[in-house]
Amino acid sequence: MRLLQAVIVLSLVAARVAPLGAHHSFAAFDRQKAVTLTGVVTEVQWNNPHAWIQVIVTDQKGKQTEWGFECGSPNMMARTGWSRTTVKAGDKVTVVANPLKDGRPNAALVRITLPDGRVLGPGDAPPPKPLK
Amino acid sequence: MHLVTRTVRRPLWLAVAVVAMACNAAPGSTEPPSKVSPLEFTVSKASQLKLTGVWVAVGTFDDPAGPAPWSNTPWPATPPFTDVGRRESARLADIKNVVPCQPGGPIFAMWELGLFPIEILEAPDRVVIKPENSALPRRIHLNRSSHPADLEPSWMGDSIGRWDGDVLVVDTVGINGRTRGMNGVGSNARVSADDAKPRLPVSDQLHLVERLRLVADGEVLEDEMTITDPKNYTAPLVIKHYWQRRPDIEVLEYVCGERPRSEDEVNTK
Repeated sequence: MRLLQAVIVLSLVAARVAPLGAHHSFAAFDRQKAVTLTGVVTEVQWNNPHAWIQVIVTDQKGKQTEWGFECGSPNMMARTGWSRTTVKAGDKVTVVANPLKDGRPNAALVRITLPDGRVLGPGDAPPPKPLK
Repeated sequence: MHLVTRTVRRPLWLAVAVVAMACNAAPGSTEPPSKVSPLEFTVSKASQLKLTGVWVAVGTFDDPAGPAPWSNTPWPATPPFTDVGRRESARLADIKNVVPCQPGGPIFAMWELGLFPIEILEAPDRVVIKPENSALPRRIHLNRSSHPADLEPSWMGDSIGRWDGDVLVVDTVGINGRTRGMNGVGSNARVSADDAKPRLPVSDQLHLVERLRLVADGEVLEDEMTITDPKNYTAPLVIKHYWQRRPDIEVLEYVCGERPRSEDEVNTK
């Protein structure tokens, strides 16, 4: 199938949004709603204060929408399994994210499934080291 | 004008170069620099560079307290606000009032739920804490016992420290009162249970006393903070935060203003 199908699942289950600590609030995102979107990455902005992943999502009618998914900072992401080359333009990915409350196609990334099947979060605290 | 500038600058430049060469002329010399006064400080042997290293706060957005027994004290759900404090808290909770990349100040620097590590470096006369999330370090002066009389307000304030046995007692005043709230990003972001609590403003009247000590065989750093700010609160706030020693982690660069998107930007890249 040439066009990717967009699968949008609305969930009333609260999903955690991307961590922050930076320049703006995540209050604009609806934490009570999680969308699942599949599409093709057009650009990865691996930069501070937060990384963004731009994805073209094509719905069942063929309409294309560019979504922006906000992640944590590259530092946080690097400590939780990411690198600047983990996601590349052209990759087909599936993203679960909390969308903006106002309906515009931006969302806080909750988790992403990569082409190789790996699932990564938005960048959070590194897993604690077990204490002796 | 161009010629005049050159003729004036060249002698100065030459003079600096001559001095620099003179200073480097005797690399094997053991003579101390003649015009530098001996530093006056006392260092407890309790120090022994125990605090030096990279530390990651316990707690995550899913679990702000972190695992027992070294769990962070929750921020108060009903802080003892003054009228001014209540108004200031409401102002900080309004996302329109969030100032992009505003420095966090000394309290926020020590509370990051593991997202940003801190690096502690100990020198004979000072302890320097470099938070990853801030370009500004905290400098804790061990070589004086009082704050300057005419203190210039600053983002991190003036910190003096002394060793009380195995406890580093740090006293901080002189912040400028323009930092983010002590418990978050400056808005009601609602990303964790703790973040849904009232914003806790910090004024220029802040008096912060910290007791830093190692627990768990030196693997965990306890920071007990007694936060007195009569402009915002009718009583001190006392909290403990915990940090885990993480030699496996590097403090990296973080530049908040590198490429931020504002609230109104959507897909503008």
